[in-house]
Amino acid sequence: MGRLSVIVAAGALVLAAPLAGADPPTARQWLERMTESLASLDYDGLFIHSAGSQFETMRIVHRVEDGRSVERLVSLDGSGREIVRTAEEVHFYMPDRRVVLVERRTDPGSLLKALPAPGAKLDALYTLELRKGRRLLGRDVQVVDVRPRDAYRYGYRLWLDEASAMPLRSEVLNGAARTVESIHFTRLDLGKAVDPRALQPGVDATGFQWVRAGRRAEPPVAGAGWMPRRVPPGFRLVASRSQPVPGTPVRMQHLIFSDGFASVSVFIEPAPPKGPAPPESASVGSANAYSTQVQGHMVTAVGEVPPETVREIANSVAPLEGGTPAASAAATPVDR
Amino acid sequence: MANFPPSDGSTDGHEPRDGSERQASGVEQSDLELVRRVQRGERGAFDLLVLRYQHKVVKLVARLLRDQAEAEDVAQEAFVKAYRAIGSFRGDSAFYTWLYRIAVNTARNSMASRQRRPLDYESDLNESEQSAVESRMRHGDTPEAAALSDEIHRTVNGAIEALPEDLRTAIILREVEGLSYEEIAEAMECPVGTVRSRIFRAREAIDRSLKPLLD
Amino acid sequence: MTDQIREQMSALLDGELAPGELGLLVRRMERDAALRRAFGNYVLAGESLRAPGCIIASPGFAARVSAALDAGGAVPATAPAELARPAPRWKRPLAGLAVAAGAALAAVVLVRPGTDGGSLVAQQAAPVTMAVVSMPGGASPTPAQTQRLAGYLVAHGQYASAIGRRNAWSNALAADPGINRVVYEASEKR
Repeated sequence: MGRLSVIVAAGALVLAAPLAGADPPTARQWLERMTESLASLDYDGLFIHSAGSQFETMRIVHRVEDGRSVERLVSLDGSGREIVRTAEEVHFYMPDRRVVLVERRTDPGSLLKALPAPGAKLDALYTLELRKGRRLLGRDVQVVDVRPRDAYRYGYRLWLDEASAMPLRSEVLNGAARTVESIHFTRLDLGKAVDPRALQPGVDATGFQWVRAGRRAEPPVAGAGWMPRRVPPGFRLVASRSQPVPGTPVRMQHLIFSDGFASVSVFIEPAPPKGPAPPESASVGSANAYSTQVQGHMVTAVGEVPPETVREIANSVAPLEGGTPAASAAATPVDR
Repeated sequence: MANFPPSDGSTDGHEPRDGSERQASGVEQSDLELVRRVQRGERGAFDLLVLRYQHKVVKLVARLLRDQAEAEDVAQEAFVKAYRAIGSFRGDSAFYTWLYRIAVNTARNSMASRQRRPLDYESDLNESEQSAVESRMRHGDTPEAAALSDEIHRTVNGAIEALPEDLRTAIILREVEGLSYEEIAEAMECPVGTVRSRIFRAREAIDRSLKPLLD
Repeated sequence: MTDQIREQMSALLDGELAPGELGLLVRRMERDAALRRAFGNYVLAGESLRAPGCIIASPGFAARVSAALDAGGAVPATAPAELARPAPRWKRPLAGLAVAAGAALAAVVLVRPGTDGGSLVAQQAAPVTMAVVSMPGGASPTPAQTQRLAGYLVAHGQYASAIGRRNAWSNALAADPGINRVVYEASEKR
């Protein structure tokens, strides 16, 4: 059946090894190991991604180059879309639309500490539990259950390879304990050096429309100084940037909130010229999006949280008093 | 195996027949060659792939939707999607495996947008239930369509019965047992060229009987 | 002469055509509807032999697909680099993966949360009920909407956790995101 090849060379796996005689790792420590492994190991795997009634086979290739993750995610069925994250940019190839979306990649250095990472505060928002699991890909696994304490978040069940803490299988669960989305590896090569050519896009994009964020003199930012007035408990602003609306010279505000595990993006951009549209929501797998119009701007909240969460966040976005980007007392305290 | 292209006698090449390693089957290779041509702009090559897989896809979709009336519309949509996405097919799997998944996803989407629960697992139904479902579906079609379908099968059956034995054996070994020309030549102790000719003549005979029905 | 072409069609159906013969044959069939009809009947013979009485496409199906492709002006994406020559089975990992994938997939769809030891129930505050009103006609998202959502998912994914990014980007890649358009009732209070 599937196989997991792990070549454990000295130092190849960077894990926080428990001290001799120390307690077995807690659920949170398992999550921390998992986060570490996902960021620091080279791997090449195939998985089945399933959401709702759909399933697709995908390949993920990940390499660390000069301390940075580069990776490639490819759909092997149907759409043939792929995402390639290089040192500088993120390219999203859509051969079915003959379009490539290009984003500048933000330097992770300054944000690394702020990115969602399981921290001490997680216990207030989720209960974490360890369970035994059936072997996967011929490996022993440790199952970690992450259950939210309220309805604003999704739960997770993660099957981690005991040797590497890599998630061999993961499920996102809603409040009714139903699987909203799942990723299930059918093959995972770890520890072998990943051939850089495996990170080249497989799509020939000649003739495609390249929708690229331009680097120009800074025009005014739409929605600068706007904030959601209400965010669910535990969500804090962890990053904020302005980025061009793809294909236009206008910049939009992009705010990122996180509770240490899940994250939500809020995009604020000028409203499209056509006049007010009704609020619109979209749900794809565990990702939910909600768009609404506020004072001539379009506000969209997107995140791996239930639909109610993005709706409430988006609906609460408003300009701050005086329009200055200062933290408002009415909003949940934010860290910058 | 649920949700996986069933082996139906034609060598789609999913499992080596005798356990030894062998080349991808002739059909797979010919599919790949056709796909290459489609990618280079030859629309005709795609029409051939449609002809080859039309029944498999319609049958698959009809089972998932449990409704044959829509099955052809959805099957058509699946082929159109496959055509649009053909540039991204890289030969990592057999073409039919790729097409199969597109068809399944198209059917599931169609069910989702009509808010009907899709038939999640083909393994939900056992063999006899499956054919019962299928025959209910056939008769749920318009009476004319159901009658035509029955008559087509009867005609093919009749034509095969009427074939000389060497032609009948050759085409059955090919279509039902999935043997290659070489394997059939061995089984029938004749040259490969004879096998090719016998199968061709069997098909011609069936085509001649179908013509008055379908033209 | 015609017999020779038709015999080639029969061999094509079995994947037994000599490599050089395919190009000419495809072009002949493209021009000749009678050849295509005959090919269709050859295919039909096989289907009926394998499963007498099974569901088959109606006689006009292939022609309708062809017409749909003509009408839609569907253009396939540009040809990628040369397709890999199909290698012997043991060199093609995905072929062997087929069995694993099938088995794994069966595991994915058959296992419900909670069957792996203990049930997983979120402890929650008063759950928010969601009024679900489907779009009239069950409209699918337009390609532009799909693209816009995909753009958000890509941007968002950069800042999500590794698991979150993988989920967000996988959803962006999904062929038909199966976007459910849920319209909240107008009376919802903010």
